[in-house]
Amino acid sequence: MSETNVEQIKEEPPKVRNTSSRPQIALDKFITLGAVVVLFIFFSITAPNFFTLRSILSLALQTCAITIMGIGVTFTIITGGIDLSIGSVIALAGTVAVMVAIAGVPIWLSMLTGLLVGAVCGLLNGIMITRLKLPPFIATLGMMMVARGVALTITNANAYPAPEAFGGLGNSAIFGTGPQFPGIPLPVLIMIAVALIFAFILNKTRIGRYTYAVGSNEESARLSGIKVNLVKNIAYVISGLLAGLVGIILASRMITSQPNSAVGYELNAIAAAVIGGTSLMGGVGTVLGTVIGSFIIGILTVGLTMAGANYFMQQIVIGLVVIGAAAADKLMSRQ
Amino acid sequence: MENFASAMELRSSLPAREVILEVEHVSKSFPGVKALDNISFDLRRGEVHALVGENGAGKSTLMKILSGVYQADSGTIRYKGKEVTFRDVNQAHEAGIGIIYQELNLIPHLSVAANIFIGREPMTRFGTLDEKKMNADAVELLSHLNLRLDPTIKLNKLPVSKQQMIEIAKALSVNSEVLIMDEPTSALSESEIDELFAVIHTLRDRGVAIIYISHRLEELRHIVDRISIFRDGHSVSTDDFTAISSSEIVSRMVGRKIEAIFPPKQNAPTSEKVLEVRNIVRAGILHDISFDLYRGEILGIAGLMGAGRSELARAIFGADPIDSGDVILNGRKLSLKSPSDAIRAGIAYLSENRKEEGLAVKMQLAENITMANVQEISRRFGVLSRSQEMEAARHYVKDLTIRTPSLTQIVNHLSGGNQQKVVVAKWLFCDSKILIFDEPTRGIDVGTKYAIYELIGTLAHEGRGIIMISSDLPEILGLTDRLLVLHEGSLVATLNTAETTPPEILNYAAGVATSITGDSRMSDQKLPQKREQL
Repeated sequence: MSETNVEQIKEEPPKVRNTSSRPQIALDKFITLGAVVVLFIFFSITAPNFFTLRSILSLALQTCAITIMGIGVTFTIITGGIDLSIGSVIALAGTVAVMVAIAGVPIWLSMLTGLLVGAVCGLLNGIMITRLKLPPFIATLGMMMVARGVALTITNANAYPAPEAFGGLGNSAIFGTGPQFPGIPLPVLIMIAVALIFAFILNKTRIGRYTYAVGSNEESARLSGIKVNLVKNIAYVISGLLAGLVGIILASRMITSQPNSAVGYELNAIAAAVIGGTSLMGGVGTVLGTVIGSFIIGILTVGLTMAGANYFMQQIVIGLVVIGAAAADKLMSRQ
Repeated sequence: MENFASAMELRSSLPAREVILEVEHVSKSFPGVKALDNISFDLRRGEVHALVGENGAGKSTLMKILSGVYQADSGTIRYKGKEVTFRDVNQAHEAGIGIIYQELNLIPHLSVAANIFIGREPMTRFGTLDEKKMNADAVELLSHLNLRLDPTIKLNKLPVSKQQMIEIAKALSVNSEVLIMDEPTSALSESEIDELFAVIHTLRDRGVAIIYISHRLEELRHIVDRISIFRDGHSVSTDDFTAISSSEIVSRMVGRKIEAIFPPKQNAPTSEKVLEVRNIVRAGILHDISFDLYRGEILGIAGLMGAGRSELARAIFGADPIDSGDVILNGRKLSLKSPSDAIRAGIAYLSENRKEEGLAVKMQLAENITMANVQEISRRFGVLSRSQEMEAARHYVKDLTIRTPSLTQIVNHLSGGNQQKVVVAKWLFCDSKILIFDEPTRGIDVGTKYAIYELIGTLAHEGRGIIMISSDLPEILGLTDRLLVLHEGSLVATLNTAETTPPEILNYAAGVATSITGDSRMSDQKLPQKREQL
């Protein structure tokens, strides 16, 4: 019977355009995904070593930091906010984890501490935004400076070597078959898991639905009984937590505390979200989009390097891609 | 400023009934819809020409073509005898066509003068803003509208009605010879509407041609010379206003006869109290308000703009903080700290600002319907069931006859009436027992209004309690069982609808009469304090 109802609805002459969101979003994704494929083919031709399993894995490994951060920041951007602190939180979470490990705490517990530091930073951001009513830009800008300062202070700006075992998370691989195939790096698997989990949360759960509702219309959401402050706090905690995760992955790969690491990473993460179709006005964005956005940046970086373009050139190209993606998004939504 | 006065003189010396604007066979299509189909229309100097039609009739599209927002696909527009095409808003402006949109286009943080002259600020020799001249010109311009205002005051310090006057002053400051007004009274109180009409009369006498778009047919009779009716993108007719009856206008608009404006009464109030509001106080806004709502009752709240009607509703709903007072629902006191408690207890508030406060317009129809009760479609761990969501949406789309191409339609693309139904569906999905409608038919066309009235009647008939806030007196009288009248934040009267008259209501609303009468149910409770301010 449910089928017949839908038929009836469709039979009425629609006075308005049928602009169901689903095909539209699918189209967006198709285009950005297409861009990834085109870039891949382009670099496979121009850079001879690009299309090898080894370099693809290395690409994935290099992209996982920005992907994981980007997923976190996507949550805050969908609520209509922003998180500028994640680069610094990475450094803080990583250094704290290393320092705690050096002090003799078991590796797993020190890493958990790093995650906790990230989550607490996110919670503080959320409290500043929801309780003190600070604009997210200001609150997280302040946190960006404070977190970096704390990381530098506790290490005295030194890179301390961590215990050997601390490197396990960032430097091991599984499913390896020997020299031909070294295996899939653990951080890449973590990235895949994070993407799947948070895509599920955003699409399929109540908190995900509320995240969109708050970003789409905060007052409507509040008057619908949604606890807007709680939703925002959760978004910032997710952002901080994932920054903390990136922090321990990076520290683990270096096996040192790096208080100066990840400077400016937050802007790359935001760029990835924007390329993936997340609207800085809030209410719009997906995890898949951000993942694709991250890979576009990653492929450009790796591909341009292998094709012989220098760092300065890469910056120009990536900048143009960000502008182009945002412009394309505007043009498409205007139609 | 001199330009303005001289232009006015020039205008009054011209023959009064000369056609200034002629639209011939204009068509305009958008993907999937033909918004205008061979429309013809003419406007004369010194007339107020009403343009009426249901939502989607093509009024706004035509206005946007006249003001340069859109360009016509075919047909001609003759302005002052010459064929014109306005490529953008500025061209239309410069030619002397001003438009005042329903949503005001003003900048809240700038002064009155700055708003009037924005984009055309007078400059000093040194290339800085000539504030002195700007303020002086603003004062003079406002005096033409019989408005005495400090031009340096920030716009957001003024009431909406004054802001609307500023918008008119802005349009006049560019020597508009044609002024288009889209629902100019939708945010105004009765006395403010009178002020606006006085201004419109003055403008008309000076030779300005005015296109007046409104859904409120009863107000047209005060100002309109001719009336054109649009339906489904066609121009149906143009008549002298005196030559056509209201019922004829309505039937031409909807293309069928509507016998009664209000549906027959369906509900019968019971004696079972569902909601008790006790001594609500919010300093400076609500003064010790108490009342009861009964099962199956439609209770109206009347009052002028700023009387505290929406504030009272929001207080009951927990949307705004109050200083003291209780809301008791079926014997249980509500916490009133946030709307979620009220919602769980079964109270729904349908805000007058659908788009800002009722809907998430970027989201889908189905998602909007479930928004206030996502728990209902949640399985374990907060995981949503999309199929349950679709089931619910399908049910309400059918039940409330929401016209939509699909359940996943983005709400922004629905018409105003259908958006209102989506909001109603949202609260029905919460199984709300008490629905507070705040201006439920604002900006909604005649045919849909009837459907909304019917819906409200049905909801009351099903045993829900309805509170209906409205500025439209006929609507309040046509629908409610009892009504409260607020004046400056105080409850000044509780009336039985069947026994009251519009003059009586207006007297209370304006603060002329102050006794509390009409309802025996009120006698056992403490009488609200009356107008403590005066």
